[in-house]
Amino acid sequence: MAHETAEVVWNESITQWHYLLALKTKHAAAAAQPGQFIHVRVGPTHDPLLRRPLSVLRTDPGTGQLWVLVRVVGRGTRLLAEMEPGARLDIMGPLGRGWPEPPPQGDLILVAGGVGVAPLIFWAEVLQSSYPASHVLSIFGAAHEGELACWLELAARSDEFYVATEDGSAGEKGLAVDLLRVYLDQRRVGAVYACGPRGMLAAAARLCARASVPCYVAMEQWMGCGIGACLGCVVPAAGGGYVRVCTDGPVFRADELDWEVLVQ
Amino acid sequence: MSAERVDLRVQVGPLELPSPLLVASGTFGFGQEYAQYVDLGALGGIMTKAVTIAPREGNPGPRVWETSAGMLNSIGLQNPGLDTVIAEKLPFLIELGVPIIVNIAGETIAEYATLAQRLGEVEGLAALEVNVSCPNVDRGGMEFCREIPVLRELVAAVRDETELPLIVKLSPNVGDVVPTAEAALEGGAEVVSMINTLVGMAIDAVRRRPRLAHVTGGLSGPAVKPIALAMVWRVWRALQCPVIGMGGIFTGEDAAEFLLAGASAVAVGTASFVDPTSAQRVREELVEFCCGQGVETVRELTGSLRV
Ligand SMILES: Cc1cc2nc3c(=O)[nH]c(=O)nc-3n(C[C@H](O)[C@H](O)[C@H](O)COP(=O)(O)OP(=O)(O)OC[C@H]3O[C@@H](n4cnc5c(N)ncnc54)[C@H](O)[C@@H]3O)c2cc1C
Ligand SMILES: Cc1cc2nc3c(=O)[nH]c(=O)nc-3n(C[C@H](O)[C@H](O)[C@H](O)COP(=O)(O)O)c2cc1C
Ligand code: FES
Repeated sequence: MAHETAEVVWNESITQWHYLLALKTKHAAAAAQPGQFIHVRVGPTHDPLLRRPLSVLRTDPGTGQLWVLVRVVGRGTRLLAEMEPGARLDIMGPLGRGWPEPPPQGDLILVAGGVGVAPLIFWAEVLQSSYPASHVLSIFGAAHEGELACWLELAARSDEFYVATEDGSAGEKGLAVDLLRVYLDQRRVGAVYACGPRGMLAAAARLCARASVPCYVAMEQWMGCGIGACLGCVVPAAGGGYVRVCTDGPVFRADELDWEVLVQ
Repeated sequence: MSAERVDLRVQVGPLELPSPLLVASGTFGFGQEYAQYVDLGALGGIMTKAVTIAPREGNPGPRVWETSAGMLNSIGLQNPGLDTVIAEKLPFLIELGVPIIVNIAGETIAEYATLAQRLGEVEGLAALEVNVSCPNVDRGGMEFCREIPVLRELVAAVRDETELPLIVKLSPNVGDVVPTAEAALEGGAEVVSMINTLVGMAIDAVRRRPRLAHVTGGLSGPAVKPIALAMVWRVWRALQCPVIGMGGIFTGEDAAEFLLAGASAVAVGTASFVDPTSAQRVREELVEFCCGQGVETVRELTGSLRV
């Protein structure tokens, strides 16, 4: 059953705003695929009420450990940041649809924006271990150096690794998608996988469409149930109507979505 | 099994339910999503997501926003439409062998009548819940609760089309809920359910934008429980009619409070999002509560508030 009580094994502050939590799970770690998320109850009371979705950053199926990267943005993530080892955490998951099978040929470009790095670290790891012939080129973008949490984790699992910051405090000055544009031109690219702010995903989708390269994006939306029942977490679908981030996603082929409406 | 220690069967108007614990419309999909979390066969009944004649896309996102001990939603009745529901959703539910109550919504009285007529032909349904209280649609929805004669006419039109027991889902967004309950009964419904969500709003002050794309939404969860209890109590005291109570039920004791206020059965809604096993847990906790209080049949709780 995708619902269990996990235990916080450790909780490490890695920047002023980012916390890396290792959870001991009975089922979730063994079942999780890259791109999937867990839906976490951050406290036992009615306030905050709803669960918080968090991407799976990595797992160790052998020990049942599952890592998540938390960026503190509000009360729920603050409560998670304050969890002590030994604390028990009610989690649902793994949930959602992860990254699809990679194409046999061409470079695979991973584009991470800020805390969006989490599901890409897991993906890079699986690409490295299960698709050793693949060539993984990762681009990590953020506003400034301090938002590049876990960059080493991504770099270590990539064949090439590039950084862009808006203020130039690390790597190239500019946006991750500026670098994506360059490599889409220079390389034979098999597919692009992106997770980060909506503007970044929209730009990646646009660039890939122009280059006729398949692009996959991991989306965020506020959630209720996390399992497809409440229809709360929708994003607009290409061709009209809506799709659920929690069960139809969070990973979508970029051309499944209506980007014009999404960036409004 | 603890349930054997307490007789959970209830009679809600013409409806015989194996337990007073149902799941509320729109919070449990069409059942399948929760199958791995809850023993669906042990539920007192399942109230489906609202069904309309034609498929509805629903409102743009964001559609949910958390508030203090509650949440706002503006789903806007997204559903695949009557034909698909009958062909693809209801067979699974009916197969479960628990009472299945289909929640119906329309923009006109004629649409409600058509829904009732078509669903009346489906074998194995327990009842219809006539949703005249959705706060998230521009036409229909809770507008029908604002005009008593129209509400009466609507329920009567539905009554004409089907023999199925009728539950009318009432809106809390009215000055006085009692006349709406009365109109529903006069129109031919046997049961009223309450409350649907309360119109609410959240604002992002920094961006000067509403949190929900639809601007306003419906408030549910523990925050609305006191209002829901008061409405159930007022209707029970005035009309002594069968009531299905809901609004912020998260524990067995919450459920007991609704029964004491006059409900014959209750439904768990938002709680299922927070704890997917809520429907089953609340039932077990209600049994514990009854055992602790020396209550042998849950029916004796209904309306037994000491005032
Ligand atoms: C599939 C998915 C995977 C995610 N993975 C991660 C992850 O690995 N690490 C991580 O730190 N965050 C992740 N998020 C975002 C995370 O869920 C939100 O930051 C968190 O719910 C905020 O909770 P809060 O109580 O701290 O903030 P709140 O007080 O609720 O809100 C503070 C601000 O956070 C933003 N926010 C709130 N809820 C969400 C949400 N569901 N999605 C996006 N933004 C939101 C809003 O801008 C809001 O103003 C993910 C979201 C989704 C949908
Ligand atoms: C996401 C969501 C969707 C809902 N959809 C419907 C619906 O389709 N039809 C309906 O009659 N009520 C709907 N409701 C209202 C619930 O059935 C219930 O009346 C209300 O949420 C109060 O109960 P609660 O506080 O336990 O959730 C919905 C509520 C929520 C939170
Ligand atoms: S969060 Fe409920 S359907 Fe996605």
